[in-house]
Amino acid sequence: MLKRLSLIFMLIALSATLLAACGKGDDDEPEEDEAPPKVKFQPKGNEGTISGVVKFDGPVPTPQRIDMSGDANCAAAPGAKTVDDVTVTDGKLANVYVYLKAPSLDRFSYDVPDANVLDQQGCRYTPRVLGLMVGQTLRVTNSDPTAHNVHPSPRQNTEWNKSQPPNAPPIEAKFNRPETLIPVKCNQHPWMKAHVGVLAHPYFAVTDNEGKYSIKDVPPGKYTLTAWHEKFGEQPMKDFEVKASESKTQDFSFGAKAAYAPTSLKVEPAFIVPSR
Amino acid sequence: MKGQKGINAEWRPSPGLHWFAIAVACCTVVLLIVGALVTSNEAGDSVPDWPLSFGRWLIESDNFVANVRYEYSHRFIAGVVGVLTFGLALSALFVEKRSWVRRLAWIAFAGVIAQAMIGGVRVLLGESSKPFIAVPHALVAQSFFGALVCLAVFTSRSWAARRETVREQQSPRLRTLSAIAVAAVLIQLVLGAGYRHQALGIMPHIIGAITVTVLVTWTAVTVLRRYSGDRFLTRPAIGSLIFLVIQLGLGVSAYLARVAAHGQPQPLEPMITLTVAHVVVGALTLAQLLVLTLRCYRALQPAGERAEGIAKATALSSTRKATV
Repeated sequence: MLKRLSLIFMLIALSATLLAACGKGDDDEPEEDEAPPKVKFQPKGNEGTISGVVKFDGPVPTPQRIDMSGDANCAAAPGAKTVDDVTVTDGKLANVYVYLKAPSLDRFSYDVPDANVLDQQGCRYTPRVLGLMVGQTLRVTNSDPTAHNVHPSPRQNTEWNKSQPPNAPPIEAKFNRPETLIPVKCNQHPWMKAHVGVLAHPYFAVTDNEGKYSIKDVPPGKYTLTAWHEKFGEQPMKDFEVKASESKTQDFSFGAKAAYAPTSLKVEPAFIVPSR
Repeated sequence: MKGQKGINAEWRPSPGLHWFAIAVACCTVVLLIVGALVTSNEAGDSVPDWPLSFGRWLIESDNFVANVRYEYSHRFIAGVVGVLTFGLALSALFVEKRSWVRRLAWIAFAGVIAQAMIGGVRVLLGESSKPFIAVPHALVAQSFFGALVCLAVFTSRSWAARRETVREQQSPRLRTLSAIAVAAVLIQLVLGAGYRHQALGIMPHIIGAITVTVLVTWTAVTVLRRYSGDRFLTRPAIGSLIFLVIQLGLGVSAYLARVAAHGQPQPLEPMITLTVAHVVVGALTLAQLLVLTLRCYRALQPAGERAEGIAKATALSSTRKATV
């Protein structure tokens, strides 16, 4: 019996060692897509614009309190100690990611803009929702006098987790596959959450504090226009057509009903099958 | 009906080794508490590297904030428990006469090494592998703790002093019943870990709780009814019942606290304390039940086994007479 137990423990130790040896290190690069090179997109001058406002219906939920007492630097940081996942100003909802989907857009390659910055300030991510293009640099900075770890958990791209002490140089990373949206969190301060949307094209926007968004230089065509919010989910709008040189307005409306349904007696599923 | 159990007359328990085993088991309880704090505070990835922490063995005090406190403490105490277990295995090598006890001590050491490796894999493989690594991590943790409890029992004075065995005539046999209860508690601890690490839903854990309640109560009540005057057996039986009641209360409270905390931006009290207490009392229930099971195997003898033993002894005696 004891011999068998010894053998089992030795097998566990061996397997764990092998797994650790094969584990992902910091130097791992995301795998490149093996698809053939795409044709570079050439604007024809007849591109249109989509803009609009995302409204919020119903009573605005009271922001939840954050307990930052675990880190004196966070507790001393200026600003309200509440969650900013639902930011509503005069009935308009901020941090909504609005983007286009269509096979026609994926046929081309596009110029990749400069780095987009995700800052850690007051032990929060600023901005909370961020859009990137495939291959665009995500530059993560730390403006806090405390250390953070930056940990995106993508499904299509490579996961990484890096520590960033105060005054450390920015962390720069790229995502090589489209993915909407990638949760980013700091495991040292578990209330710190952000989302990064990655698309192969530049037709996306995030609503500002007035709930406004604008997607420019959209080639004429039919698309699915989708608005996504981290609490309220997605609102896809199929067969959304943009005609030549058209300035189209499309508003969205989210409500508190679905996200704030009582959960006190919620029965959880018996088995959760990981989606990956 | 009593019989004499054959034991090595030269063997004497080593109080030093016994207390050393108890001390390591107590340190392991502290390790389990801190491990549960890591999970409950979602601190598992707060130190991104392994086996070093931020590139060092001993981190700077500035880094010891927020969730790093839990994760680094877990690593540090795990290191201490690893060294202590190595010391225990070495001590057993010199002090302990029974080879199977010495082997068990080295198995415990192999267990703590395996546990460290699994923990490291969990850190290096990241979020997507969490349920598949964290559940074995919890299972090996409880098994390692169980091995230390066994060592403490085998090296105890009461274990050595108990030479009389009682013949078990009634069914179900307590040796079998208690062993099944131990297996059920171990499975239940894994189901609990599966729920905490989001590999499983709550239903398997609830079904496990009902099964464990029935088995532990049945085992303990049977012991108390059949051997009410034998403290060697009744004490761990009463202990198992007490821990079971506490554990059920903690389980319901922890679940309700978790449901009430749904949607919160971070893990908050009382969910954290209740969950940690639930994990630790689960381990203590396992420990009590292990003590009871081992003592049942020590003190009770199945009727069939004894009859077989008598037949063997009679046959041996006949052979000797024939030879003479």
